[in-house]
Order: sequence, then structure tokens, then C-alpha cells
Amino acid sequence: MILLLEIKKLKRTGCLPAFLGGAVLAAAFPLLNMLVRSETFTALPGEPFRILTDANWQMMAMLNILTIICGACMIYHTEYANNGAQKMAVLPVRTYQIFWGKFAVTVLALAGMLLFEIAALELCAMHWFPDYHLQLTALAKNLCFSLIAALPTIILMMLIASVCQNMWISLGIGVILVFTVSVFPKENLFLSLCPFNSPYQTLALAAQNGSEWIFTLICAAETIIFGIAAFIFDNVRRYFL
Amino acid sequence: MNIIETNNLTKTYGDFTAVNEISLHIQKGHVYGFLGPNGAGKSTTMKLFLGLTQPTGGSFQIDGKTYPKDRVPILKTIGSFIEAPAFYGNLTGEENLDIIRKILGLPRQSVTDALELVGLTQFKKRLAKRYSLGMKQRLGLAGALLGRPPILILDEPTNGLDPVGIHEIRSLIRSLPQQFNCTVLVSSHLLSEMELMADDIGILNHGQLLFEGTMEQLRQTAKANGFPTDNLEDTFLAMIDDDNRKRGQIR
Repeated sequence: MILLLEIKKLKRTGCLPAFLGGAVLAAAFPLLNMLVRSETFTALPGEPFRILTDANWQMMAMLNILTIICGACMIYHTEYANNGAQKMAVLPVRTYQIFWGKFAVTVLALAGMLLFEIAALELCAMHWFPDYHLQLTALAKNLCFSLIAALPTIILMMLIASVCQNMWISLGIGVILVFTVSVFPKENLFLSLCPFNSPYQTLALAAQNGSEWIFTLICAAETIIFGIAAFIFDNVRRYFL
Repeated sequence: MNIIETNNLTKTYGDFTAVNEISLHIQKGHVYGFLGPNGAGKSTTMKLFLGLTQPTGGSFQIDGKTYPKDRVPILKTIGSFIEAPAFYGNLTGEENLDIIRKILGLPRQSVTDALELVGLTQFKKRLAKRYSLGMKQRLGLAGALLGRPPILILDEPTNGLDPVGIHEIRSLIRSLPQQFNCTVLVSSHLLSEMELMADDIGILNHGQLLFEGTMEQLRQTAKANGFPTDNLEDTFLAMIDDDNRKRGQIR
């Protein structure tokens, strides 16, 4: 029920169109890249989907992260702008359930984005690499991996947005984190596991290093840890109000 | 029988004491008027009842339930309106109430009833952010009245309303105990309104409870202390002034 209520609260906020816009922009990137310089990529040896992700995923992941930041800020701005959060706090509902409801909405929205983007990569592969055939299992695996890799970023951003009542502060923190973390080397496993850095990782790259399971498990663990932090914060904030 | 009871309830922020060991006794089925100048601790006390802030000391019971153990069951019995109207500006008045209705598990009809009760039916499809202050105030009240809870906590419910609106809301609050068999804790700066609304009065100053009792008891106490008794406003002002003077002497 909380999930449906959280979706309903987003009516007319522009949040869902923002996720859609982010998806269109990210999906358009490989398409434009191939339209402009397809010879560069078709001449490369290797598996077509891997060639395309290597060439485009960095930019696509950055667009996804920026969309997550904007989405989280908009979702919590809806709560704080007219004191809606206070009304929720005096209703018989646990406030951390609201947090999880918002987290679930963002995860679903990102899943939709990733599906759209991976479908765009598949379409590019099928169009520019005639020998390539659609592989639904690989598509599903990539989708799940990218989604899990983004979970720590989503939950940390939701936590930041829930703490800061002023949307511009959480937006600023998010943008600073994106650009700070973007300078971290992607090859270093430890640094690539950081929130805001993990979404840049692709399944192919992780599989090449034999770290796909470690990566998945650690991202899941980070999500749980930030979830616990959100729960603790929800309980202690009353002492400071 | 007391439906709300506090025992030395205290809330401090650093070295500032907002609520200082107050012991309230709010009887079931009564309208309890909470009076005090700005910063006296009325809103903080109400926030404590709703679990919006944590008490520093003391305890309270609402309908036999204790905080923090029974926080959610307590909130199920309370309809509230605190400080400013709280709503989602991107949703219509009706959609705002529908969210509350779903959380409370009430039938659809309850939203129509609440809108009707506060006179917002014709504006139910308008976005809440486009409401005037008075309409936002009414929406907040409708949210509090949704499902006819046994306890209502209303903080300055007539703020921003025109004289006709004030009269309507006052009549509504006055009629609630009979209509819905509920208890109302209401704070207001409009002392003349309070005089017409409340069965019992609690007067707070600098976080301390100066008086608690019926209107008649207030008059008797005021008479015994040499305060004017012509109307509540004069009595209130004299009591606060006297307390402030005593505090000044202590300092």
C-alpha cells in the first residue's frame, strides 16, 4: 500500500517525466555515437554488446546517477515543500516505511530506465553488427547487474535527501559526490564499490576481473548498511526536533 | 475520566526549557482550551503528544496508552492539526485527504464527509497549493477530522480564517464532543473564542502550567488572587503579567 501511496504522491511533480527524460537521453547517446562514428566501433574485434557498453556506458551511467540525484531530491521536496512529511509523521504509519516506499519507487523507475537503455544498446548492436542476434538472457543479466550496482547510490541519495529539508542542499551534495567519485579509477575494485562509482561498472568488465559476485554481494551489503543508517536516523531525529 | 494525562512532562532544548514539568488532566468528551503567550510551550506539548518530538522528562498517557511503547496505536486515535497546514501542494484537496484515508483504512465516503464538514466540497478538485490560507486551514482541519477520531489536537485552528470562517470552525469544534463523542484539545490566541468553546482551560507561561480547571474555577481563582474576572482576556493577561513579574523578582 505504501508503494502505491508514494507513487500517487508523485503526481504532477515532474519526477516520473524526469526519469523518462533521463532514460531517453541516456538511450540516445549510443545511438548518436553509432550514427556519427559507427566505423570506429564496427572495426573493433570482440563481442558487439561489449564494444557498445565499453564505448557508451560511462556517459550513460553518469546520466543515470544524475537522474537518481534529481529524482531523490524531487521526491523528498514533495514531502517537505508544504509540510506533507509532518502530516505523515502524525499518522499511524512508521516513517521508515515511507523511506522504503520512496526507495522502491526510485528502484522501479531506474529499472525502467535501464531496460530502455539496454534495449537501445541491443538495438544498436543488431543494427550495426549484422551477425549479432538478440540475447534475452544476457539482456536480463546486464539489467539485474546494473540495477544492483546502482542500489547503494540510490539508497545513499535517498538518505541525503531525507536528511536535508532544503532540496538545493541535497542536490548540491549529490552533484559534488558525483564529480568527486568520478575521478576514482574504475579498475580498483575497492574504489569501484563506492556509492556513486559502482553504477559505472558493467557486467562484462566485472566478469573479466572475476569479481561479478563479490561486486553484487558488496553492493547488496552496502544497501543494507545504508538502510540501517536510514532506520537509525529516523528514530533519533525526534530527539532533535 | 481523563483521556489525556501527563505527569511532569518536560522538554528542553539545550539550556532552554520549552515545557517544564507540566501535569495536564484532559477529560473525555470535553473541549480543553490551551492558552498561553507565544513561546509558552503549547505547540511543543502538542507535538509531544503526537510523537513529533521526544520528551526529555516525565511521561504521558493517551486513552490508557503510553508513549513511546504505543506510538502507532496512540496515533490511530488522534486527529491533529499542528502549527501550519500540512499537505501535498501538487495534489488536490480531495487527493490529499484520500492519502490520509488510505493510511487510516477508512471508506471512500469519509473524504466526502470531511470535505463537507469544513465547507471545501466545491474546491475539492483544486490543487492544494492554489488554496487560500483559509482554505488550507480548512483542509488541515478536514485531515484531522477524517474518520472522526476520538481525540482531536488542534493548534490554532482558526488562524488565517475570516470572521465567518472563525465562527463556523468554532461552532464545529463546540459541536464535536456531542456529534462524534470526541475530546478536543485546542489552542488559540483568540481568548474570546476560547471562552465560547472550551469546557476546561489550561494556562501555560514559560513552559509552566499556571492554571488548570473549568471556566468557573478560573473565575474563582482569579477573584481570590485579585485579578479581573470580567472576561477571559483580562484574567489571562493579569495572570501572565503576575507570573512574569514574579519571575523577574526571582531573577
